Amino acid sequence: MTATTRPRSTPGGAGPPPSTLVVRGLTKTYGHGLTGVAAVRDVDLDVAAGEVLLVMGPSGSGKTTLLLMLGALLRPTAGSIIVTRRDGMTVDVAGEPEKALPALRAHTFGFIFQDYALLDALTATENIAVAANLAGTTGVAAMDRARALLERVGLAHRAGARPPQLSGGEQQRVAVARALANDPPVLLADEPTANLDASRGRDLARLLRQLADDDRRCVVIVSHDDRLREVADRVLWLEDGRFKTVTALPVDPVCRMPVEPTGPHLEWANQTWWFCSAGCRAEFALDPARFETTAPDHPR
Amino acid sequence: MTTGTRPLFHDGRVPVGRRFLLAERRRATLTVLGVAASLLLVLLLGGIFAGAIERVTFYIRTSGASVFLSQAGVRTMHMSSSALPADTVARLGSVRGVEWVSPIGLASGSVAGPRGRQLTYLIGYDPTGGHGGPATLAAGRAPRAGEAVLDEQAADTLGVRLGDTVTVLGAPLRVVGLSAGGSSITNTTVFTAAGDFARIRGGAPVSYVLVGAQRGLTPDLLARRVRAALPGTTVQTREQFTASEARIVTDMSANLLRLMSSIGLLIALAVIALGLMTATLARLRDFAVLKALGAGTARLAATVAVQVLWTVALAVLVAVLLGQLLTWALPLAAPAVQVRITGAAVLQLGAGALAVGLLAALWPLRRIATLDAATAFRESR
Repeated sequence: MTATTRPRSTPGGAGPPPSTLVVRGLTKTYGHGLTGVAAVRDVDLDVAAGEVLLVMGPSGSGKTTLLLMLGALLRPTAGSIIVTRRDGMTVDVAGEPEKALPALRAHTFGFIFQDYALLDALTATENIAVAANLAGTTGVAAMDRARALLERVGLAHRAGARPPQLSGGEQQRVAVARALANDPPVLLADEPTANLDASRGRDLARLLRQLADDDRRCVVIVSHDDRLREVADRVLWLEDGRFKTVTALPVDPVCRMPVEPTGPHLEWANQTWWFCSAGCRAEFALDPARFETTAPDHPR
Repeated sequence: MTTGTRPLFHDGRVPVGRRFLLAERRRATLTVLGVAASLLLVLLLGGIFAGAIERVTFYIRTSGASVFLSQAGVRTMHMSSSALPADTVARLGSVRGVEWVSPIGLASGSVAGPRGRQLTYLIGYDPTGGHGGPATLAAGRAPRAGEAVLDEQAADTLGVRLGDTVTVLGAPLRVVGLSAGGSSITNTTVFTAAGDFARIRGGAPVSYVLVGAQRGLTPDLLARRVRAALPGTTVQTREQFTASEARIVTDMSANLLRLMSSIGLLIALAVIALGLMTATLARLRDFAVLKALGAGTARLAATVAVQVLWTVALAVLVAVLLGQLLTWALPLAAPAVQVRITGAAVLQLGAGALAVGLLAALWPLRRIATLDAATAFRESR
C-alpha cells in the first residue's frame, strides 16, 4: 500500500522538492513459511526535506519495526530505503553491507529515544560530542559543535551537568541536540514526548517542527501522542504492518502550523483556508494576498 | 587536545571508557583493590624470593673475592659439599695476578642459644688474614680460639648477647662479635677461627678458596689463569658464583613460586572479569545506544579495553605502593624475611596483569559484539 505524499513546494516556489527519504516495498517478516509473521508489509513512503511525518498506530502495529529499518538498525526482508544525504549523495540503506551500517547510522541519522537514552557517565556536552565523534568530528571541533547545539536547544547553561542532574525536558532537549550532532538529513524519533508533561511535550514538538523547517531535515516520528499532530505535515496510521489511512493536514497560511480542518476558517479565492486561531484568521482576512505565495500548498 | 587547561581527550574523542569506569567509583574502587590485592600477592612472593636470594648470596657478594675455587663439579655453597686438596692454597700463590688467598671451611648444622636452636652454616676462616670472615661487624670483634661471631638477627632470635656461649655443631663457642646480613629465612651464619672449625669438624679439609685479584686485573682473566693453573677444580668469578647460588634457590622454589603466582593471577583474572562483566552488564543499554548512534564493535571494544587498562594500571600502582610499604614493614615483624621488589618484577607483573585483564575482557567483549543495537529502542518499551 502506498502512502501518498502531499505536494510541497521548495522555498523559492520552483516545484516539489526531491524526497530525502524514499521507501519502496519495505517488508519485514519474522520467521519463515507458515510460522512467519509479517511486521511490516510492502510499505512505500516518501518524506521530503523539511517535512515532519508522524506515524501512529496501535501497539504491535509495526511502528518500531518500521523505525528500526529506516534507521539501519534492522534488516528488511525486502524493499529499499533510499536516503539523500546533505551532500546530495544517495544511499540505499537496505542494500548496504552489515559492516557498513554503523558508519551509515553515524553519518545519516539522528535518533531521539523515548527515554532520552543519554549516557549517565557523561556530561550533556560530552553526550553530544560522542555522537559528533562517531561521525568523524573530534577534539575541540566536536566540543564546540556540542556547545553550539546545546545553545540552540536552550541548554547552554547546563553544559556540564550529567543526565541525572537534568529534568526530563532538559534531558530530551540534550537528546535532540545529540541527534543533530552529525547534521543528519533524517531525524528518527521514537515516542519523543512519552515521558514529558503536556507543556514540555508541546515545546519539544515545536522544536522538532523548527528543526525540520530551519534545517530542511525530514523528521519521522513514531508516537501515540496526539499532541504531535499539531506539528506534523502528515499523519500515517500503521496497522498490521500497513498504512491504513493518510492524513494531510492543512497549513495555517499565517503561522504555517499544520492545523486540523475543524477550527477557524474562511473562504477566499474559491478555497477554504484553515487557521490555528481566530487571530491568524483575522490577520489573514486583512490582506490575504500577502500570504498566498507563502502558503502554496494549502489544501482545498 | 585540551579544553581550557584540563586535557579532555586522548585522541580527540570523549574518553567514554574512562568515564564509564569512574562513574561507578565504588565498583571501580573495589575492583581495583581486589585486583591490587591479588597482584600484591604475586609481587610479594617474588619479592620474598628475591630477598631470600639476596640474603643467600650475601656472603659471596660481600666477601671481596674476585674468584672462588671449589671442588670439581661443585658450583654452589648451599646444598653442596666441597673439599679441595691441601696444596691448593700453595699452588694458587704462584698464579700471576693473585693479590690474596683465603681458604675457608664450610659446614652446615645448628646453633643453639638460650631461646632455641637455628639452622646455620659454620664458616671457618683465618681471622688474621683479613678475608673470608663477615663483611661487617655490627658489634664486637673477630673470633679467636674458642670464640665465634654470630649474625645479629640470629643472636636476637636466640637471645644471645656478646659474651654468651652458644653451641655450634655440638661445640661450645663464646660469642665475641655480631655480624650483619648473614641470616635468611632458612638459616643463619656463624664464623669461627679455622682452628676451631677443624676441631669441630675433626680435621676438615679446605672447602672453598677465596682469591683476590691484583688491581687492574679483571676477574675473568684471573679466573682463566687459575683454571689453567689448577685443573680439576671449579673456578668461578664472584658474579658466576652468585648466579649459581641464586639459581639453586630459584630451582628449589621455582615450582612453588610459579604455582603461587599463577593462583594470584587467576584471582586477579576472576576479579577483573567479574568487575568488568558487572560493569558491562550494568551499562548494556549505554553500549546499545552507542551502537545505535554508529559506534562499531572496534570502538566499543576500545571502550572496554580502556577500562581494563585503567583498572590494571591503578591496581599495579596500588600493589607496588603497598609492596614498597611491606618491603619496609615486613622485616620489622620478621627480620629474617627480606623483600626485594625490582623494576623488572614490576614490569613483569604489569605485563602479566595486562594479559590477564585483556583475557578477562573477552567475555564482556563477546557480549557487546553480539549486542543488538535495536535494543536501544526496545529497552524502553
